[in-house]
Amino acid sequence: MTATLTHTPAELALIDALDGATGWQAQLREATRRDGLPTRRHELWKWSDLRRAANDVTAPGRMTVTGLETPVTDGAHIELGVTASTGASAADASLVIPAGASVTLVERYSAEAAALGNWHLAITLEENARLDRIIIAPDEAAGVFISSAEITLAQGAHLHQRSLDFGGRLSRIETHVTHPGEGALVDLGGVYLLDSDRHADTTTVVHHTGPGGVTQQLVKGAAAAKGHGVFQGKFIVDRAAQQTDARMTHRAMMLDDRAEIDAKPELEIYADDVQCAHGNALGALDETALFYMRQRGIPAPRARALLIESFLAEPLDAIADETLREDLKAQLRTRLEALS
Amino acid sequence: MLNIENLHCQVETQDGEEKPILKGLSLDVPAGEVHAIMGPNGSGKSTLSYVLTGRDGYEVTGGSMTFEGEDLSELEPEERAALGLYLSFQYPVEIPGVPTITFLKEALNAQRTARGEDEVSAPEFMKLIREKAKQLGVSMDMLKRPVNVGFSGGEKKRMEILQALVLEPKFMILDETDSGLDIDALKTVSDGVNALRAPERGMLVITHYQRLLDHITPDVVHIMANGKIVKSGGPELAKELEAEGYDKYLGEAA
Repeated sequence: MTATLTHTPAELALIDALDGATGWQAQLREATRRDGLPTRRHELWKWSDLRRAANDVTAPGRMTVTGLETPVTDGAHIELGVTASTGASAADASLVIPAGASVTLVERYSAEAAALGNWHLAITLEENARLDRIIIAPDEAAGVFISSAEITLAQGAHLHQRSLDFGGRLSRIETHVTHPGEGALVDLGGVYLLDSDRHADTTTVVHHTGPGGVTQQLVKGAAAAKGHGVFQGKFIVDRAAQQTDARMTHRAMMLDDRAEIDAKPELEIYADDVQCAHGNALGALDETALFYMRQRGIPAPRARALLIESFLAEPLDAIADETLREDLKAQLRTRLEALS
Repeated sequence: MLNIENLHCQVETQDGEEKPILKGLSLDVPAGEVHAIMGPNGSGKSTLSYVLTGRDGYEVTGGSMTFEGEDLSELEPEERAALGLYLSFQYPVEIPGVPTITFLKEALNAQRTARGEDEVSAPEFMKLIREKAKQLGVSMDMLKRPVNVGFSGGEKKRMEILQALVLEPKFMILDETDSGLDIDALKTVSDGVNALRAPERGMLVITHYQRLLDHITPDVVHIMANGKIVKSGGPELAKELEAEGYDKYLGEAA
């Protein structure tokens, strides 16, 4: 609306990169043209200032997506690699999980230095379908990567999502779920581990539209000095969504006084017969446990890594596929050993 | 073996003030001997165990403490552990998510690596821990559970002794090992400690009550009050204390 809006180089680059695009990418282009990139003034972005994070982006870039050719059938294992080159870029895709089918979807993101990558996925789960969605956002100190997903479930569908985010200049994993109740189940889990100058944002909205829905969410994180973690979780329960059972937990560990973790758990409930709860806890490493381990001879860095790993690993323990579970836990371990 | 000379130590309190706790404590424990330290609450017994093992917030402000001739005061807790110092905690710490067996293997191999010894292989370690667990009546099932999580007070103390049997330290400090134990558990734990008595190993048994010393007979008993040793003697000193209480020593130390 503001006729006076002056676009930043990153905004101009993104609009340029999306020239002639259709669908979601056209919406992104128009939103960017109209409002610019979101800043702290936008409620949903108040801890993740995208305009500022993208201030080193000056030209259009390219987003490469691999693995989309895999057919979405029962038992399918789909591996998507999503890479944002230097510059502003976007890509999107949509998937339909057929009725009764069980599918595993793994998304691996990467962003080069001075990248502003925007990835969008629209997913529909038909009746009684099951989707295990695993997101791995590796350590990319210099790039900005924004992932957003719109996931719609039909009756009896199950969504199990796990994300592992080591942060970036700015990394955001945003998930919007429409939950019809009626035997459908949503299980959202996430882990973030942030070294200095890494930023990771986990934002989720689960909208319960029908009766008897079950939702569980467990997000755990840890941030070192100058790491910045953000958790925004919202459950909306419509009037029609009686007997919804929805539980949200975010627990995080500040590994240093100079770490920052911001959390906003929200419940918006219009039904009167529901069980909804949210818990949020921030703490520090248990110094007594650390001393105990060191007294037994375990050097401080190793003791610290073991304690953080045992704290963070819980959401990953529920990954059904053993190979994937061990892969993610091994990545977590490797990153912990390198933590400054 | 352990030589403490005129040791002064202060502790940072919760409101950030430095409070002197040890005020000129001297103590020598030769290899092969078991010394008991008895004293009323607040005399500095637990502080002594923490300052010897290097806990943060326990600052040496005077005197010296050496172990086999090595100055302990500048060493990290893990370095003191690798030298062979072991503390059986008054309140063993729960570590959710870390199985006891993993923890012990990490600890043993970290100590061995620090001493320049080869790591113990997985099969060798399993054999070792099975044998020690059997000795203390600890099931393999318990060892798979996270360190101390959900264990009773007695089970935690038994695990402390099991860890000592596996790590085979040169010197053990037992801090209020009898607290929270019923008579059966006290016997099991004491049997474990007695099994560790050896000519090359020293022990310091810190206790408020005499009853532990019925099971672990010390060579020397020291009475601690107000941050120093006020009297030393044979095992009969413990019996005398049990009968007469600490009052007369509190007066002397003040």
